[in-house]
Amino acid sequence: MGNPWIAIGALALVGLLIPVGMMAISKLLRPSVPEQGKRSTYESGEIPTGDTRIRFNIQYYMVALLFLIFDIETVLIFPWTVIYRSALENGVGLTRILGPMLVFIGILVVGLGWAWRNGAVKWVRSPRAEKRKDAR
Amino acid sequence: MTLSDTIAGLLGLNANDPLQFFLAAIIASAIVGTFMLVNVAIAGPWAKRKITAAFTDRIAVNRIGPFGLMVIVADAVRLLSKELIVPEEVDRPAWDLAPLVIAGSALFGFAVIPMGNGIQVADPEAGLAYVFAVASLASLGLVMAGYASNNKYSMLGGLRAVAQNLAYEIPLVLTGVSVVIFAGTLQMSEIVAAQTGTLATIAGIPIPSWYAFVNPFAFVLFLVANLAEVGRNPFDTPEAPTEIVAGYQTEYSSVYFVLMYLGEFIHIFLGGAIIATIFLGGPAGPVLPGIVWFLIKIWAVFLFTQWARSALPRVRIDQLIEIGWKGMLVLSFANLILTAIIVGVVV
Repeated sequence: MGNPWIAIGALALVGLLIPVGMMAISKLLRPSVPEQGKRSTYESGEIPTGDTRIRFNIQYYMVALLFLIFDIETVLIFPWTVIYRSALENGVGLTRILGPMLVFIGILVVGLGWAWRNGAVKWVRSPRAEKRKDAR
Repeated sequence: MTLSDTIAGLLGLNANDPLQFFLAAIIASAIVGTFMLVNVAIAGPWAKRKITAAFTDRIAVNRIGPFGLMVIVADAVRLLSKELIVPEEVDRPAWDLAPLVIAGSALFGFAVIPMGNGIQVADPEAGLAYVFAVASLASLGLVMAGYASNNKYSMLGGLRAVAQNLAYEIPLVLTGVSVVIFAGTLQMSEIVAAQTGTLATIAGIPIPSWYAFVNPFAFVLFLVANLAEVGRNPFDTPEAPTEIVAGYQTEYSSVYFVLMYLGEFIHIFLGGAIIATIFLGGPAGPVLPGIVWFLIKIWAVFLFTQWARSALPRVRIDQLIEIGWKGMLVLSFANLILTAIIVGVVV
């Protein structure tokens, strides 16, 4: 049995060579007719206005912060699920193996509830959209 | 025995020597990679059109070759020979790398998928963790594409892709992990082996103990989260053709467009392969060889995504955040704890 991560590395190389190969084939086949007009970005056929890289309200900033916490938490749950069954079969009590995880998930769920109540878990409307809604 | 080991044995290479094993693994990877590309080639230009046409009562491609199958070759040549238009002021390295990340990362996942008849490139102990990790790499490519294109539609598409992944990544992983509580391992071959027993016998037909039957609740949750992960209706907000043109892929043409499209389809098949492995017993099934059952299962998941695409309306992006965080996340926590309690009581 060889080291599986070497095999995964081999597949990663193949997985990159396939798209690179397709790019190379296309490079040989495709024409190149550079013109100024067709290089402008698509904006429903109009002449593009302004730059795209501006300061921009993404409207889910708090959700993204919450995601970081919950993402780390899933990583911490992984090893627990792996040992759970074998620990039970080896005679470890249910309260000892399940209890701490219930407390851990409980804290997270309480945190989620708190964030939910404070309006962090939602798509934040911009002040302008909010004003338009009030006017209606 | 993985495919890499088998090939090393056939060629008389020493599997313990890193370089010789790498060579054998390259051949194994080429076989698996080509196999998946053939699937995608059938699915993308042909099957998708035929399925959508059947749902909307049309005929679709039928001119070139039997059942219009030769459209695959025609489309490949047509798309690869298109001119590559590089829009003004794109962020060059990122714009070129994004299609590579999207198409490549989806292929990486197939390294650990057991496809039956000993076809599996590698079988590491952390297989399930690895496959979840590489499957979510694609969203990095989407953000790169969205930001680098210098197009407002692309930018919105990229940002929506992030919002969607934030909302669905955790329910997806938590539900996937609930299977590990039953199996007690992250190794893909072991998870498949744990599903070989018989759950019950109904009218003389044995029902296998696939985790889809053992825990149907988790299976449904995972199917829904997977639809969001691969960005198909009702969760196709990042592309949303009627709102933001084509989202992150608006500015891509020629081979770059092919790679984005290809990556999307490989991703759907990777989602199908994960579902097949952890919920549907992998390549298990009666009479037919394992690889055929594996194909039937991943194509069934593909058909399901296409059905959802034709039948369900798109949810709004703010609704999507609410469904993900206030519905799916809570349900997936409930599923995890319930699974743990059931296993604790039964064992």
